[in-house]
Order: sequence, then structure tokens, then C-alpha cells
Amino acid sequence: MKLRADFVQLYRDVHSWVGIIAGLFLFVAFYAGAVTMFEEPLQSWASAPVALPLPVSLERTPELLQKALAAHPEVRTDYTIAVTPEDAQRGRLTWDGSGGQVHHAPTQVMAAGLDAEGNLVVVPKTPSDAARFVDVLHQQVGLPLPHTPAMILMGIVALLYAIALVSGVIAYLPALVKTLFAVRLGQSVRKRWLDLHNLLGLFSLPFHLVMAISSVVFAFHGQIFALEHLLFPAPVAGQHGGMRGGGHDGEHGGGPRPDPASGSGVHGVMRTGGGERASPASVKENSSAAAAESAVVSSHEGASRVSRVETSSAAVPAQLPVLAPTDILALVTRQAPGFVPEVLNYMQLGHGKDVVRVFGYDARYPTRGPTGGFMVLNSRTGAVQSGEYMPGHQPAKFAILTSFFALHFGSFGGAPVRWGYVVLGLAGAFLFYTGNQLWIVSRRRRERQSGVVVETRGTRLLAALTTGCTTGCVAGISAVFCAVPVLPFGGTYGAVSAVYYSVFCLFVGAAFCLPGQRGIRLLLGAAGVVTACVPLMLCLHGAHLLRTPEGLGVAGMAALLSAFLFAGAVKHTREI
Amino acid sequence: MSRDGKTFSTDQWVSKVLAAVLLGVVLVCGLMGVVGVLSHTDGSPRSASGQYLMWMAALVWSMLLSVCFLFRSGRQAWGGLSVASAVVWGLFFVLRSVLA
Repeated sequence: MKLRADFVQLYRDVHSWVGIIAGLFLFVAFYAGAVTMFEEPLQSWASAPVALPLPVSLERTPELLQKALAAHPEVRTDYTIAVTPEDAQRGRLTWDGSGGQVHHAPTQVMAAGLDAEGNLVVVPKTPSDAARFVDVLHQQVGLPLPHTPAMILMGIVALLYAIALVSGVIAYLPALVKTLFAVRLGQSVRKRWLDLHNLLGLFSLPFHLVMAISSVVFAFHGQIFALEHLLFPAPVAGQHGGMRGGGHDGEHGGGPRPDPASGSGVHGVMRTGGGERASPASVKENSSAAAAESAVVSSHEGASRVSRVETSSAAVPAQLPVLAPTDILALVTRQAPGFVPEVLNYMQLGHGKDVVRVFGYDARYPTRGPTGGFMVLNSRTGAVQSGEYMPGHQPAKFAILTSFFALHFGSFGGAPVRWGYVVLGLAGAFLFYTGNQLWIVSRRRRERQSGVVVETRGTRLLAALTTGCTTGCVAGISAVFCAVPVLPFGGTYGAVSAVYYSVFCLFVGAAFCLPGQRGIRLLLGAAGVVTACVPLMLCLHGAHLLRTPEGLGVAGMAALLSAFLFAGAVKHTREI
Repeated sequence: MSRDGKTFSTDQWVSKVLAAVLLGVVLVCGLMGVVGVLSHTDGSPRSASGQYLMWMAALVWSMLLSVCFLFRSGRQAWGGLSVASAVVWGLFFVLRSVLA
């Protein structure tokens, strides 16, 4: 393949400038993204146990429900039943205790159980926000901003990332084919970084293409849907399509996710967090899965919203009773063998449209969300109302859309793919690190060739930022999980972000104060020490986590990573 | 493009990128319109067609941003993309009036 020299040079320039702007944001996004592959086990490890008696069996759940509804009639409109024994430990029955009114304060989730005498016990649930914090860090490329501006900046970074991919392929692929497997470790530092960068980039190219396009979609789906709404006004007046409908309905009751707290709740199709869950913005959060889901709910709800108040306060109309969890599960098993239900979310929408959303997964099929999909049943008749997000039961066109999401979340193919995504995510972060190093080393070389003795301010700035941000991100996330056992409630969102950003800023500050080889080595070593504490903390404070394969994996991964950082600290050289 | 000996370069990149960002939105929006009208979508995020259109928009816009540097000048970028937008939007209105 022979490309014109000026064409290749053009894309080389574009690649290096775009890469240098987006590289550090992408490092944070990829590193945190790799950690979010363990979000569920980390969340349940970090959360304090709920002070409830042993959960009632699913067969006895109607009794619990009856007592809870008698004491808290408002719960009728939206409550959640945990199906799996692990989730039930954190409350068989949970509901959003803030009434969906509080928009920016953490949602208060209430959990209920029965004591030995059969009396109702209700306690608030305060799950750890540590794992969710890392997820938000991933979604917002490390920026501590409100959701909307952070999404716009994330979208810009995603677009730069797409440009960097295209330009990288055009500029380097022809030359690359010749020197594919030649990693010139022994030669100059610049060539070593270059070879590593090329090798990593080439072999994870499909992964990166998927990530780039899906991130653009995640960032701008709200705006694009708004445009579509303008382009194609809904033909039927009563049908409110579009984001606006979905968002507002979410606010009015479709919003709260089932069991937001224990991590299993977020199972859901989205990873939005408890913090802003009730806000309209959060319904749109993370991927249009959320949008689509709220739209599913809203379409059931829309027509009935006006009369909702009336139905919920008036006596229950003379109609079928709501089906018990065991009946729903039996129906699901009959309808969809192989689907593993985890959470049931009952919602009262009135007018015979009361629904139950059954969240779960099917190991044989890709899922729309990071950990599963859902189906919607009529909670009184048991009729299936929507299987559009139901793994294995989607119409082909929805199944294809689901595969786009599954390719971003790694939610297909089970554990091997999830582990593959962890490795690809970490390799991606390392790719951006090598890219920045390459830029610095090349610049330094050029400056030296042109006779400059002291490196320019730009080079110094970028070198310090690269070292500070990358080691700061790694150390900050490790510090969060080290701090979890000592923080109240396993870390509220504020406490966890304070830990992360103070460690991050400390590392960035240190990188500026200690330029040069010694500083880099020190920071790499320090990040290695903090990361090495993570497996220690896991052993000391959560032996039960280490009995699961994921838990062992997290500990092993952290140990490996700290070894890698120590090796980096010993080997790192600034030479050209 | 090599016939007249002009070379590719990152000159006037601000202008080229701005064209791809701003006119890119107009063009992509028109393209969504054309494809949407042809596929009889209602544009709802619930429908499969609405979601495919969204993915298409993201893909086309990213690609447009990647190739905008190939315009020989900023002015050419603005001109070319304006013409393309006008064509696409014209097609959209024609198709809509014919099919609707």
C-alpha cells in the first residue's frame, strides 16, 4: 500500500495533536472503565450489611408485602422484590423512600423484612457509593462536573478519539505492516514506545472503534433524539415520543430503578446511580438504554398519568389482584426458559396497566445493559407487554441494537469476555500512556536536535501532566477502595470523591514539583504502593469476596498492576 | 486530487474543523431526515428505526470530522459542506412531500 507522503504527514499531524488533547481523559475513562467490570462485586463488598432479620422466603413475600403496604400505602406505586438469595440479604422488599421528589440528594432507599414474630421491620439502606463513583468517573472521563456539561465534554473527547483512530490507521498502518511484531526493546526509548503503541493500537483497533462510536452515542443521544423529534413530529397527538416524554415521566414515577442500592439494582439496564436517580437527567443517563427504557415505561404510563392519583388513592378497583412474585417467576420460567430473573419491579400505572418489570440475564445472549435486560409483564394478568429488551426474545432489529451496547459493556459471552474487556480496557489505558510518552520523547528529541538545552515549557507541562494524571488516577481509585472499610457507610459519594480527587491532585501537584526522572519513579512507586494495599484490604475486610472468582480476580489484578507499577518505577528512564 | 499538485496539509484547520462541526450537524440532520423519511420512522427513541438513525448520525458525524482535513482550504470545506447540506435537505423536503 502506497500513500502519498503529504497525505500521510497530514494524518500524522492530526493524530498527534488530537491524541495529545484527548489522551489523558481517555486514560482515566479506560482505566476506570476496566474497574467497572467489577462494579457489582465491589459494590456488594463495600456496602455495609443491612440491619434486617433473615429475609423471608419468596413464598412468604406476599405476607411481607401486605404488612408493608398496610404501613406504607404510598409504596404501592413502585416497589422492588429481590429474587436471588444474595440480593435478598439486602432486603427482600425495597422501595424509594424519598418519594421521587429529591433530585440532587442521594435517594433514600428503604428495605423491609419480617422478624421472627412476623412483625414488619423497615430500615433505610445506605449502600457504598465507591463502585458507583468509579463508574461515574468512567462516564465523565474523570471530570468532577455536573452531569450535563460533563457529558458534552465527554462527547467532545469521544469525537477526538474517533478522529485519532481514523488518523492513526491512515497514517501508520502502511508503515506498520512492515514492522508489525518488531518491538525494539533494546533500541532507543522512542522506538520502544512507538512499537508498543503501534502493537497495542493495532490489535485492539476493533475494540476501540466500538468504544469511540458508542461513546459518541452515549454523549449525544439526548440531543440527537431531540433532533429526530423535531424532524419527525409524532403523527398521533396522544403519543408522546422523544426524550422529553421519557424524561418527565421518569420524574413522575417511572424514574427510580429497582433496588438502587445493593448493586444488583443497577443491574438494570443502566448504571445510573442512586444519587440522581430521581432526576429527569439521570433517566437519560448512560446510554440510550436508559432513554429507551424510560420510554417503554412511559408509553405504558403516559395515557394513565392523569388518572393516576385517583387510582392510587381510591380503593383498588374491582379487578384482578397483583400476581405474587412466585407466580411471576413461574410465568417467566415458562415464557423464557434460560432467563435468570434477579429483580422484580412492580409499578402501579392504573387503568389495568399495572406492570412488573423482570430484570435478569440469560447467559446465552448479549444484553442491553452492563449486566442484563428486562421484560415487562402485566402484573395482574401476567401478559407479556414488552420483550424488546429481553435477552434472546428481542425482534432481530432490536437484537442488533442490543449488540452495539453489549459490545461496549462486554455483556456477552460470560466471564471470559468480561475478563477480556478488563484486559482490553487496561491495555487501552496503557495505549494512551504510551501515546503521550511518545509525544514527549519525540518533542524532546526534536528540541535537542535543534540545539535547545533546556526543554520548552510545553514539553515540561505535558510531561508533568502525563505522569501526574495517570499515576494519580490509578492511585486515586486504589485509595478509594482502601478507604472504603474506614469510611462511614462504606463511603458516601461525597466522601469517596473527596478521597479520589485529593489523591489525584496530590499526584498531579507532586508531578509538577518533582520534574525529572526521580519524580516519575517516585510517583509510579507510590501508585504501586497504594494499589498493593487493595488486595490487602480485600483480605482483611472481606474474606467472603475472595471466595468468589470475581473477588479473587480483583485482588489478583490489583496485585499484578502494582507489580507492573513497581517495575515501571525501577525501569523508567527519561533518555531518548 | 494530486493532479494539480496541491498538497494536503493542516493549514486552516480551524476553519475546516468548524465547517465539519457546524455544517456537519446540518448535513447529518438532513441525512437523518432523508433516511428517516424513506424508512417511515416516527423518530421515537422507542422505535428501532429511531435508534438506528441515532447510531448512523454519530457514525457519519465522526467520519466527517475525520476527513474534513482533506479539503484543500477552509473555504472549500464550507462550500462543499454547504452544497451537500442543501442537496440533502432539498431531498428531504421533496421526499417528505412525496411520501407523506
